[in-house]
Amino acid sequence: MKELITVYGSATPTASGQSGDFTLNSQIAYNTFNYIRIPKGTKLKIWAKRISGTTTFTFIVNYTPNIISRSPNWTTLGSEYLSSPGTLELEKRKPIIVNGFTGNEAIKLSYSNTGGSGTLTVEVDIEITDEE
Amino acid sequence: MDKFAKDGDYLTVFLPATSEALVFRVRSIVNKAFNLIDYGPLPIHQGTVLKTIDGTSTTTSDYGVLPARAYTDPIQFPTQLNVYDNTDMWYIPKEYRDRLFHAIQYVKPAWIRVEVQIPTGTIQNRFQKERVMGGVERDFGYSRGSIEVIHFPEVHYGFRYCNDLNIDVNTFVRFEYAEYKIEIPMDAQLIYDILIRKVPSVWVSLPYSVEDSTFQSSLVKTYGITGFPLRGINERDKAIREYQSLLKDVKSVWGGSE
Repeated sequence: MKELITVYGSATPTASGQSGDFTLNSQIAYNTFNYIRIPKGTKLKIWAKRISGTTTFTFIVNYTPNIISRSPNWTTLGSEYLSSPGTLELEKRKPIIVNGFTGNEAIKLSYSNTGGSGTLTVEVDIEITDEE
Repeated sequence: MDKFAKDGDYLTVFLPATSEALVFRVRSIVNKAFNLIDYGPLPIHQGTVLKTIDGTSTTTSDYGVLPARAYTDPIQFPTQLNVYDNTDMWYIPKEYRDRLFHAIQYVKPAWIRVEVQIPTGTIQNRFQKERVMGGVERDFGYSRGSIEVIHFPEVHYGFRYCNDLNIDVNTFVRFEYAEYKIEIPMDAQLIYDILIRKVPSVWVSLPYSVEDSTFQSSLVKTYGITGFPLRGINERDKAIREYQSLLKDVKSVWGGSE
């Protein structure tokens, strides 16, 4: 089993130093979501990221082992810095992999704005699979 | 079409619950050039209240949407086509005994858990005999994204689905199928050779692990028998005598004895 989906989101920070999480959408989703919970026994692979902005920012992939906790503990799995307004396209021949061991693991996509006000946009290609 | 029998192949449908098998010869595949049905979204209606694997309930927002963490009751596939039973497109009566549908159902998104009940209402996924019941809402008793069945006449199959992600998803179902024109070989020696795998056949084990009286009687109504018991290679004479006796009860697929 494998399913490859594109998730996307945007944010409009108004000042440097602002950070937050992208509200995400996908063609396969009926409504928006803030994180992706990884089904038990599967793994989530992040294959590609397209990051663009009218200002500079750091794009962050955050992970928690326990999304059902009252206050999940998020740690950074990886980040990319958009050093000037424009677009950064990153494709991974070896993806970021997150396993669903308990079914409570989750990732979310976040930003930390380093420029002025602007629009930040991300598209991420994610695979959910029970194969290697 | 690699998973399906080809014209002239033998097809063995094994029933684990009874350790019996029905043996067919595929006279032809009538839908060879058109083996896909893009059914569309799962037939889940807007406003349907579904249970979740977290112990709560939720309501579907739109047709074909499977909410986050929710699982369905058994579903059959309604259609607007002029099929025999338009509440279940795969249902055929016993008079269609010369036909057999071999269908592989693919569900999108592929992480969706799928389970089949044969017949609808009988949970087939058990652990340690019948002690523990599985299913899409539990840690076992499902597959993800696809399921393969042979649809026998006179039986409604019920499918259940579960979306264990936190996202409400738009669903889609595609069927890859073969409509076999079949007959039951009337030679006990040949059936024995097929069942000990001396003669090659396409072997499909139906996810039928709990014997169900409705299902068994449907087989009798359709074919006259429930199947041929599997025997060991050291039981040849006994098996052939047994199969010869069963073959007397087999109904002709050409509209013979009822």
